[in-house]
Amino acid sequence: MAAHTHSTAIELSEPAPAEVAAGSELMLKIKLTCAADCDLHNLPLTITSPDDTAPTAGHINESGEVTLSIPPKVGPQSFTIAFGPHETDDIRHEPCALSLTVNSIPHGTSLAVWDIPSPIVKGERFTIKVGAKSAANAELKGLEIAVFDSSDKVAARGRLRDSLWPGTSALYWDEVELIAPTEEGLSTWSVRFAAEGLALPHDGTAAEFSAMVARPPEHRLTVKVVEQKSKAPITDVQIRLGPFRGTTDPAGIAEVMMPKGTYDLHVWKTAYEAPDHSIEIRGDLSIEVEAVFVPEEDPDNAWTM
Amino acid sequence: MSKQNRNDKRGAPPALSRRSFLSKGAAAGVGAAALTGAAATDAKAETKWDHSADVVIIGAGVAGLAAAITARDHSASVIAVEENYDIGGRGILSGGRLHLGGGNAMQQKHGIKDTPDQVYADWVRFDANSARYSDRDLVRVFADENLATYDFLVQNGVEFIDRMIGPEAASTIPRTFVTVEWHVPSELIAPGRNRNGSGLVRRLEASARKKGAQIFLRHKMTKIIREQDNSRRVIGITAMNGSNAVNIQAKKGIIIASGGHTGNVNFRRTFDPRLTEEYQQACEPWVHQGADGELAAMELGASLWATAAQTREAGAAITKTRHIGCRWGYSSLVYQPESPMFRLARATGLTVEDWQNVIFVNQNGKRFWNEVDGSYNFFAACMAWHGDKSKLNGGGPIWAVFDADGAAREKWNTKSPNVDPDGYFFSADTIAELAGKIKNPYQKQQMSGAALQETVARYNSFVAAGADTDFKKPTPLYKIEKPPFYAAWSTPILHDTLTGLRTNTNSEVMDIRGEVIQGLYCAGESQGGFAQHGLARCLTFGRVAARHAAGRTA
Repeated sequence: MAAHTHSTAIELSEPAPAEVAAGSELMLKIKLTCAADCDLHNLPLTITSPDDTAPTAGHINESGEVTLSIPPKVGPQSFTIAFGPHETDDIRHEPCALSLTVNSIPHGTSLAVWDIPSPIVKGERFTIKVGAKSAANAELKGLEIAVFDSSDKVAARGRLRDSLWPGTSALYWDEVELIAPTEEGLSTWSVRFAAEGLALPHDGTAAEFSAMVARPPEHRLTVKVVEQKSKAPITDVQIRLGPFRGTTDPAGIAEVMMPKGTYDLHVWKTAYEAPDHSIEIRGDLSIEVEAVFVPEEDPDNAWTM
Repeated sequence: MSKQNRNDKRGAPPALSRRSFLSKGAAAGVGAAALTGAAATDAKAETKWDHSADVVIIGAGVAGLAAAITARDHSASVIAVEENYDIGGRGILSGGRLHLGGGNAMQQKHGIKDTPDQVYADWVRFDANSARYSDRDLVRVFADENLATYDFLVQNGVEFIDRMIGPEAASTIPRTFVTVEWHVPSELIAPGRNRNGSGLVRRLEASARKKGAQIFLRHKMTKIIREQDNSRRVIGITAMNGSNAVNIQAKKGIIIASGGHTGNVNFRRTFDPRLTEEYQQACEPWVHQGADGELAAMELGASLWATAAQTREAGAAITKTRHIGCRWGYSSLVYQPESPMFRLARATGLTVEDWQNVIFVNQNGKRFWNEVDGSYNFFAACMAWHGDKSKLNGGGPIWAVFDADGAAREKWNTKSPNVDPDGYFFSADTIAELAGKIKNPYQKQQMSGAALQETVARYNSFVAAGADTDFKKPTPLYKIEKPPFYAAWSTPILHDTLTGLRTNTNSEVMDIRGEVIQGLYCAGESQGGFAQHGLARCLTFGRVAARHAAGRTA
């Protein structure tokens, strides 16, 4: 029998988070102390998990942390972290225990929607890409995504493919086909992902995207952009007329197919300025736009002798 | 080896910079540190001087080096103390643009007619924000000294590129030209980036040393010592060399050339309370503008002067971050991996060519202004209150959000060393996930994924429609839609110090009652009264201060 008996205490060094994702591992900062200041650091702990399975062994690591495995289910989860009794020839350390409850929550999910053509021609088919991501990087292949129109009717469904979108860590994706509304103007859809059927509980999510719906293009607008003083063509100028757009080629020319109507023509290129124009499209049209070079003195330009 | 020579020796950057505390996200404490780091004191008869010189200069940047040479030219002995491990201050990182006119030889060569009177007339223009707040007595001195300053540079070996630029700022005729970059790569702080100011300060350093000026590196001024209690005469300084205090007697004068206050959060908020800790200072981590000189002088009763200039909303007091995704992305300064500062700067940043490729969001994930604007209206929007009840001043971090297509258009490689993933650059597979990843010392609350997703969806609708109905961004061109997505630090960065200590036309520091503090001078960015951007005023008033100090009776 040990000659001495020391009382012990176990407590949290830092508050436990209120919510933890289901199925994850929670690192808790723990302080295990002896009334006589004995070092208990490497002595074993017993962890009782919420599912009443057999207690497991645990220990406090070098950072003062104990790892708890959160069950893969949602809701309050209670744990007991117990120490001792522990006895050597000289000292008996009395047992102590810490009980705590954490709330296990589903993993989040999120969506991306891309390659949305705009404008789209009313009543015509078009495609978009939709990607879904689990915050736990769970495999999502085969799960369904659904696209709803502005009246909340299903417009398309898709199933996430086996492969990840290039450059992403865990974005599963699919391409889905939609039919453009027959009404002109900005139209909005909603993509929804239920995230059902996964081993770990997940919350579903939704994301919106929009596209301009327009009449079919009828006429060709040819825009040539030149520098005002030199009359030299300017390449890579962005041309915008409402939802319609084009980019000038090395000859300074952009061609835009568009329906009849009156539009504000905007041009954009860094370091150039040009006034907006109002133009009316009644047939094929060619115009020339002069842009003024407004150089921004670049301090990183190489200075030469 | 003498103590003087040991002090004089240029060294390698310290294992952790003297400003290393800054890189740990503790900028909020800078002001307090600076406030307690430099103070005036009263000399006692028992002060033991470790060194003595006629003129003691605090700082070996542009103003300090010009002062050192000038003092030697007037037969005064000189000690310059520099807290950094090398000379140059911000000048060594500057583009080397000199704004000097008056009809100098460079102007004449290019057929530009100018006079000192024209320099004066331009720089007191009421219709130019960059000129109207200056003290015209100081502008007159500057104008009258332009030719002499130009000649001074030529006589001391500074070389210029044969090209005139301008007119710039308040000038109505071309007065700007550029120095030739220093030719020794290992003696540059930002090699490969046309930091031509290196040619100015290295040439001045060489001349100063050749003429016998002593430069004590790694010496940080902590006290200006006055003759006795309540005296208006200063007689020396204390500087810390590591943990050793060094007292240096100034028999004729002390010239504060310590380089401005922009990096001192507490001090700069005197002029604009919005400038809280999240706004970084251009040229850090190489140099920190801590207001050391101003504070030490103000302990003696020195006055500030022409403080309206600091908030004149013209020029480069606040600048758009052009190199995004790193902590210090000042418009013309990139620390490449071969820079001795790179280890502290940690990333070069992604250089933005077209602001159409990003949207800016505040710490709440909300757009707040037209991204292609770079005016002070943009900066005001950045610094606006965004609803954070625990932070009423300052606007918090600004993030540039873009997608894979934006990165491709800009030809950005979003990997290290181009970006700093330790708090200043983040990537994610979705917009909502991106918001959750943003962790930064200045981001006081988690950005909402839903808020950022809503912001991006709304912006994308503007792109689809061809009009930004929220902020009138002209012709919004590109959706933020293709994964992966990125968030890059784009918080405005501070540059020019445009106000400082009050001086008379001799650069003598004046106190709050308008009296001269005998023996105390100021030049460079710590001097108030003439709020011109760049090197010329620093050179000119460095010369003026040293000439007057050297002429004093010891």
